[in-house]
Amino acid sequence: MAMCTILRCASVSLTSSLPRLSNRNALTPARLLARTCYKRALSTTTRFCAALKFTDKHEWVRVDSGVATVGISNFAQEALGDVVYCGLPEVGTKLAQSDEFGALESVKAASELYSPLTGEVTDVNDALADNPGLVNKSCYKDGWLIKMTVSIPEELDGLMNEAAYERYIKSIED
Amino acid sequence: MILRLLNRACVLSGSVRLKSTLSTFFDEMGKSGIILKSATTGIFENLALEDWIHDHVDLQNRSMLLLWRNSPAVVIGRHQNPWQECNLPLMRRLGIPLARRRSGGGTVFHDFGNINMTFFTSKKKYDRHRNLKVITSALKALRPDLEVAATDRFDILLNSHYKISGTAAKLGRTSAYHHCTLLCSVDRSVLSSVLKSNTSEVIKSNATPSVPSPVRNLLDVDPTLDSDTIMNAIASQYSNEFGFDGPVITVDPTHEALMPGIHKMAQDLQMWEWIYGRTPKFSVCSSLVVDDVTVKLDMDIKNGAVEQCAMEIPEDWLPSEMVNEFTSALNGSKYCPNEAAVLVAAFTRTVSVTADVAEKIHRLCAGVVSVM
Repeated sequence: MAMCTILRCASVSLTSSLPRLSNRNALTPARLLARTCYKRALSTTTRFCAALKFTDKHEWVRVDSGVATVGISNFAQEALGDVVYCGLPEVGTKLAQSDEFGALESVKAASELYSPLTGEVTDVNDALADNPGLVNKSCYKDGWLIKMTVSIPEELDGLMNEAAYERYIKSIED
Repeated sequence: MILRLLNRACVLSGSVRLKSTLSTFFDEMGKSGIILKSATTGIFENLALEDWIHDHVDLQNRSMLLLWRNSPAVVIGRHQNPWQECNLPLMRRLGIPLARRRSGGGTVFHDFGNINMTFFTSKKKYDRHRNLKVITSALKALRPDLEVAATDRFDILLNSHYKISGTAAKLGRTSAYHHCTLLCSVDRSVLSSVLKSNTSEVIKSNATPSVPSPVRNLLDVDPTLDSDTIMNAIASQYSNEFGFDGPVITVDPTHEALMPGIHKMAQDLQMWEWIYGRTPKFSVCSSLVVDDVTVKLDMDIKNGAVEQCAMEIPEDWLPSEMVNEFTSALNGSKYCPNEAAVLVAAFTRTVSVTADVAEKIHRLCAGVVSVM
């Protein structure tokens, strides 16, 4: 959770350093961020480029130099229980947004994973083969699932930022 | 035409109006709980029926129970290794098919003496303990002296010791299903022999393992308990527990018009790429004895295909170039006895070898195939 706070601070400082835009092109800070990561290389991108975006299926996406890293949220890993196996796709698999790309097996059930974006899988977290528990222990860092290209950057705009996701979780818990 | 199909395919209560699919029929029925029974006993058709219902029926405000039985089959969990879990050569000899389901969990043996129950709900209403309570309550209502109880692992034990039911589940986008078995009068000798792998010691894998347990049939403790009686009791208890009413509807999962796409789902479940190809990466390390010679075999299998194959064979028995040709022939092939035999036979035809060497290669192949 501390990591999320750091990312939030980074995103705020990034937006303040960007040039002002006319009202016609008024963009939300999140949108500015998403576009910036593809169109320009900022010096601040070396550590934290983009904030986490979330899907309503409790997956998170973080984009860094055009490559999206995907994982499941803390809410999801808590709900799943101990993960005993990660069924992930092959590198090179092409995914459309919402395509099922694998499953996490826990004592709870086999839970399907849905792609947050359209793109191609470039990397799969091999550490999970011998240590599937990383998904529970470090869901935002070492427990990442796949990396993929971002074919349709606009899809990121449709995802929730951290604050919106937190509100979403509260609404479903009630 | 669909009306005729409906009449033939489904035993329905009340008036039958023209419906386009089973899904819209349920919507129009307006019931919040439905009990279904499958009309077929094919494992792939029934697994496809589960998937179809999960994908197409609106389960947000409706729950369903599906009762089904199969002719003999072995069913492995989504992330399991069949070579580790069951005796594939024995199953081939007995004509018992292997299926891989989409839910997690371990390996089970089905035959007509086993009842399968699938509880479909929204993700919010997913509650395995409540479902298992339906089963234990139903059994106790039939025979109050029966000692049956669910465990933390979602097994049901008879007399606190014998497993009579195992559970697996799948969580999808918005809905979930929990399915479980119930041993009524299963052939236990077939069960124990097919669920014992002949090659587990030579396999190194991180696939999800089964937890073997001693089992018993309900029939063993009470010969008057037959599958039909038990199924009716469970259907009745399900209605009581969840406050539903309505008859049990029989559905034929082979009727494409009622369930568009179901035929392809059943076909997909029978593909080699799904059943064997989805096995997590594993390695085989075995010492074979061929013609009194010890052959060390090392293979890496990925997606059910031989990714890498190496053999250590005494040079005086078979020259190393022959060994290299043999291992090259297997590289990239399906980890499957038929495929291996065909490839090796083809390679011995293309390479000029003496009859003696050809015989040795043939016997070596038989040895390698014995671990497949």
